[in-house]
Amino acid sequence: MEDKMNKKSIYPNWFLIVPFLLYIIFFLIPALLGVVYSFTDWNVRSRGNISFIGLKNYIEIFKSNKNYASGILNTLKFTVISNVVKLIPALFLAILIQRGVKGHRIYQTIFYLPAVLPFLVIGLIFKSIFNYNNGLLNTLLSYMGLPAQKWLSDLSMVWKSIYGVDAWRGIGYCMTIFLAGLNGIPHSYYEAAEIDGAGFWRSFWHITLPMLTGAITINLVFGITYGLKVFDIVYVLTNGGPGHATEVMTTYSYQLYANGWYGLASALNSILFVITTIIGVFVVQHMSRQEVQQ
Amino acid sequence: MKSSQAVNSRKNNVCTPFDFLQEDSLMRFEKMRMRRLLCTSVCIAAIILTGCRKKNNETSISSGFNGESLSILVSTDWMANRYDATIERFEKMTGATVDLQTIPADQYGDLLQSKLTSGTCTDIFWIQSNPFAIKSVIVDPENYCLDFSGASWEKIIPPARLTSCTYDGKLYGLQIWHNSPEYVMLYNKTLFASLGIKTTPKTYAELLKDCGIISRAGITPWFMPGADGWRHQLPFFQIGGVYEEAQPGLYDGLNSNTRKFGGNKKMLEVLANFKELSDKGYFGKDWIGTDSTNMANEFADHKIAMTMENSSYIKQIKDETNTTDQFGLFLIPLGDNDTYPTNPAGPTMFGYKGTKHPELVKAFFDFVTTTQSLQEILDNSPKYTNLDVLDDKIQQKWLPEEKEFMDKIDRSKMATPVLQTGTKYTNDYWMNFGADMVAYCLNKMTANQVLENMDINRAASAALAHDSAWN
Repeated sequence: MEDKMNKKSIYPNWFLIVPFLLYIIFFLIPALLGVVYSFTDWNVRSRGNISFIGLKNYIEIFKSNKNYASGILNTLKFTVISNVVKLIPALFLAILIQRGVKGHRIYQTIFYLPAVLPFLVIGLIFKSIFNYNNGLLNTLLSYMGLPAQKWLSDLSMVWKSIYGVDAWRGIGYCMTIFLAGLNGIPHSYYEAAEIDGAGFWRSFWHITLPMLTGAITINLVFGITYGLKVFDIVYVLTNGGPGHATEVMTTYSYQLYANGWYGLASALNSILFVITTIIGVFVVQHMSRQEVQQ
Repeated sequence: MKSSQAVNSRKNNVCTPFDFLQEDSLMRFEKMRMRRLLCTSVCIAAIILTGCRKKNNETSISSGFNGESLSILVSTDWMANRYDATIERFEKMTGATVDLQTIPADQYGDLLQSKLTSGTCTDIFWIQSNPFAIKSVIVDPENYCLDFSGASWEKIIPPARLTSCTYDGKLYGLQIWHNSPEYVMLYNKTLFASLGIKTTPKTYAELLKDCGIISRAGITPWFMPGADGWRHQLPFFQIGGVYEEAQPGLYDGLNSNTRKFGGNKKMLEVLANFKELSDKGYFGKDWIGTDSTNMANEFADHKIAMTMENSSYIKQIKDETNTTDQFGLFLIPLGDNDTYPTNPAGPTMFGYKGTKHPELVKAFFDFVTTTQSLQEILDNSPKYTNLDVLDDKIQQKWLPEEKEFMDKIDRSKMATPVLQTGTKYTNDYWMNFGADMVAYCLNKMTANQVLENMDINRAASAALAHDSAWN
């Protein structure tokens, strides 16, 4: 049976060789080399004399005065919260638009637009909006008689500002993926449920969510990998500050590379790589299993 | 020729009783003419020789470089437009083409390192040099830098700056930079006067009192743009002299690893001063989240009274805002400091040892150090009022405010360089220290932890550099 299927395939397997080689050379080998370098003392002054130092870099990460551990925790926290903040509104917006709310195409475009803006531009725009003295937000607050906020320099506010900007940028993207999933659900399912007396929430719970598992998986995998690798949005808005309050793994890694600690930076990236792989594989397997069951 | 004809004509004349007198006066006259002729000839010869020498110099620069290309790697603002005219003349004179590669400041260090280590560096490269930077930034100057020892332009570099250009007794770099007061307190004189503040603060207590007066008038006393990330550390590092005075031999101790930042009483006092100003709101309501983009306008609009800036910023405020206010400068009074922030650091040019055009590189260094080129560089630097070079023929353009400020400072208070360039490995952790200072102001760290972190970071750099003082 399998042989028959193979014979019917349009392209022969050797067509895979070129992309596979490119993948190995430009992705797999550099990634593995990064892991290898994490066990060395490679730095800006090594000039070719690189020595293996075992787990010293990894021990340094958890014992250092730099508090890399808080960077790891911040990264995990960002991954969870940013996905919740983006995915739930994105799903309901997608449902609204799919149900044909008036002017839905314009809304769709407007919501998606921020996703195409470069992070640098977003950073500049929001730094201006968050400005304490003459930013848009504080001006609005003052019109409403409310006190001005230190959006990017108050410890209790800074993460909320980052989540807000990240959601503003990412909701449209997630919504588009959900919309593609929603369009794949036959309308007759909802009609049948309606005849049986099911309301919005019962239809949502028993039809929409199960049928959207594929779109949810895609959004979750993208969101989790994005969250774990987060750099740009933090860098352009706070650069890890105020103080070290918003340092994440990648901002620490960037500082280490900039200071010439290549081995240590590689170790930090390797930890990130392992965490991303474990979580990514777990999410994909779990969601795929659910999809098969349904 | 004319004088020999006169003698002959005289010999053919009829003799008179006064002939001996006439002959004597004629002889004297002839002697005078001869002397004049000799003087004129000597002058003409000197002019011709000088001209020839200049021409020879130009010829030596111009010969053999036709069609060659001279590549220069530089960070934004280090050359800016001030070298354009000089480069244009150099190109015309030599026939060579200059390929100027200007890189954004945040990417420059990494790019230079990769180019040096991979052997693909440009013919000339720049670094922000200080007395320790040649070893710490370039890492291997013997391998990467052309040795200019004995070059004629060495004599134009002031001794303090020469320490940033030499390593191990060899001359590697050329530093042409200004000597205006850098990052001292700049204040609005008109505003101070309108608030009844007659003299600038000389101690921390006086500063605190003045800040109170200014703040009560609804004006930010000391504008501190913390969001820039690199400015708020300046008050701590620019007053290195006061730390040295409080603990003589501190710089030597820090460079030989016998003394530490951690536990230093004066430094702890200065950090405490800084935090008190932050807590009282004297840096502005949200100094951590504010950048310096609108600083000139805020000065002109009387929203801020003082900040830390270069003296040239006075001109910038006036140019940008057309304000008629008067501005002045005073020393940073944190920790009761009364020392001047002498800084021998500055962007410095180096020749790459692996260049294929070493003679062209040397010719370029010779060319930019002529009086004409130096004057041209200064004239094309609207931000700077002087060049710190030993060439009396340069027409400097000191501001009256600069003169007024500099005249008040005792020379002995200029002896110690700023902390970041006077001590090893300190400048490398500028940004880290700044982030720690913010964490301290937000009560997330103690002042001593901020200082101890600097010790840990410096030790790490020293270990990388295999510095024997740390091993």
